[in-house]
Amino acid sequence: MAETDTNMHELDRLLQVARQEKPDLPEALEARILRDAARVRAGFAAPARPGAAALWRQLRAALGGWPAMGGLAAACAAGLWLGLAPPAALPDPVMLLDDTSGETLALFSGDDLALAMLEDG
Amino acid sequence: MIEPADSDAALLARFAQGESRAARALTARLAPRAYGVARRVLGDAAEAEDVTQEAMLRLWRIAPDWQTGRAQVSTWLYRVTMNLCLDLLRRRRGGSPGLDEIPEPADPAPGVVQRLQDTDRMDALQNALMTLPERQRQAVVLRHLEELSNPEIAGIMEIGVEAVESLTARGKRALAAALADQSAALGYEDHG
Repeated sequence: MAETDTNMHELDRLLQVARQEKPDLPEALEARILRDAARVRAGFAAPARPGAAALWRQLRAALGGWPAMGGLAAACAAGLWLGLAPPAALPDPVMLLDDTSGETLALFSGDDLALAMLEDG
Repeated sequence: MIEPADSDAALLARFAQGESRAARALTARLAPRAYGVARRVLGDAAEAEDVTQEAMLRLWRIAPDWQTGRAQVSTWLYRVTMNLCLDLLRRRRGGSPGLDEIPEPADPAPGVVQRLQDTDRMDALQNALMTLPERQRQAVVLRHLEELSNPEIAGIMEIGVEAVESLTARGKRALAAALADQSAALGYEDHG
């Protein structure tokens, strides 16, 4: 038991020596770490989605700025409202669609187009 | 201006604000520690370099989201480093035994550790460390080489303090036994 304690004491001494022998950081590794840091830091500085932001800016400018964007939005909303709930004076577009569905539109009602072309020579 | 009194968390915040000198200061403070433990745990300098670079890269990336007071930066970095080492060791060996599967070490042969020659000592220590199960090795390195407290190690290894105490005690006995085996193999048997 005492001899085992001696070995543990020797191990403690060995660990103490090892604690004082810290390995230096290799220069190449330090350079790699700092290169990574610079790359990540550059990502912090850049806007998150520069492409999308630029596209929106261009579109807004092309349409005439915020007032024009507001007018466009109002017109879209009005059109949608008229489509969904048309005034009584206007025909219901859904009914119109229903009336024409299944019918054939006759361009030359009562005449045979092929015959007419033959007669014209 | 970087002051020695600046905390790691303060430096990390300054890095997140774009200060390159903060990255240099943090690298000087933290990377050698990460590299040291990775080398001890992996027993391979090249792999330890890769692990250290990856751990530091994760630190740079988390910088803008770092919440001061959540944890110590050094503890966080040790934990990431240890987890990366474990991943690497498991890939190497294709699995790791659980804590319960680790056998108790035999008592070392008496009086042989002291016979190791000085020049062999550090190599012998590293070789002996490599014979320990991975979690024991981590605990021994953090406790006896990095001199961290048991609660700190518990935080890094994400286990309880009692489990740390058990791992370090068993690890140290196993280390002494492995060193005794090595000294016998090297021809340093106790003939007296």
